[in-house]
Amino acid sequence: MTLLIRERGLTPATHLSYAVGEIKRTDSLGQFEQLVLTAILARRDDAYGVSIHSKVEELAHPKAVSLGAVYVTLDRLEDKRLIRSWLSDPTPERGGRAKRCYRLEALGERALEESAVTAKRIWDGIVEVWGKEWVRAQSKEWGKRLGKEAG
Amino acid sequence: MPAGPPKAVQAFAALLIPCACREEVLGDLQERCTSTDGSAMQYCRDVFGTLPFVILSRIRRTADPKLLLMHAFVLYLSFYGAAWFKAYALLYEPWGPARLAIPRAIALLALVLEDAYAKSGRRSPLRLIRGPLVGLAWTLLFEAALRTTHSNLALPFWIVLYGGALGLLLTSALRMLFSPPSTSPQGPI
Repeated sequence: MTLLIRERGLTPATHLSYAVGEIKRTDSLGQFEQLVLTAILARRDDAYGVSIHSKVEELAHPKAVSLGAVYVTLDRLEDKRLIRSWLSDPTPERGGRAKRCYRLEALGERALEESAVTAKRIWDGIVEVWGKEWVRAQSKEWGKRLGKEAG
Repeated sequence: MPAGPPKAVQAFAALLIPCACREEVLGDLQERCTSTDGSAMQYCRDVFGTLPFVILSRIRRTADPKLLLMHAFVLYLSFYGAAWFKAYALLYEPWGPARLAIPRAIALLALVLEDAYAKSGRRSPLRLIRGPLVGLAWTLLFEAALRTTHSNLALPFWIVLYGGALGLLLTSALRMLFSPPSTSPQGPI
């Protein structure tokens, strides 16, 4: 919170109402938004359109993801101030065009953290009801699927 | 060596992608094409799959629903006012109000697209007037086309002209007072 207040240059009189607004804003993260935020986090300094799309496809496997959907989500996340973007230097393999690079903002990191905690709670809740046998069966299936992909 | 994207499709994409995101989207499409040794067909599929999303996302970012509603109201008022003074009987015709709504819809569409395709950054008063001017031009052209194809739906010339001029004045004033949202890129960290 202190970081937020310092980053945005808020006065003590306004920071409380601002923080409430920000909390409300980060609450509404969709599943695809979580995927895109995770992809940006994973790509670190190399997070731009193509690399984010390939990581999102990897995370959303076996579902296919269109590049357009990634652009729309990146724009929405930027409007929510969860990520920040800037244009890098042009590169020859892109026909001399620049990349738009992305990185997570403090709010984005917090939103992703909250999503991960919620996902963990969901997982624990399912395990509690369906038991450890179910976890073992799932792990086996995932292992098989990963083995097939690697093979 | 990869063939690279077809020039004609690339030029078509460059024309349709909004200025604010043209650089990175074209670059990404080219990189996907060259890095995966993709064919021209793959590039075309990528372009046509991405374009609608990029345009709609840009419209979402640049269009303010409240401002659009105000524009719709003043535009309808302009054409309604012009009809009131120049052709009162039109207002009581069965399709009169619907005919008055056609130029408003065209002008609104032009305003939305003009904002979406405008370069991001600071907007001068001259650039704010460009949208209503484009809207007026589109309206005049559309009404002229309507006159040749469906003359029963076209409005009398004087109503289009007076309504358009009043609409230009009022929408320009609105845009000066409530500037449309601009999404300029953030600087490097």
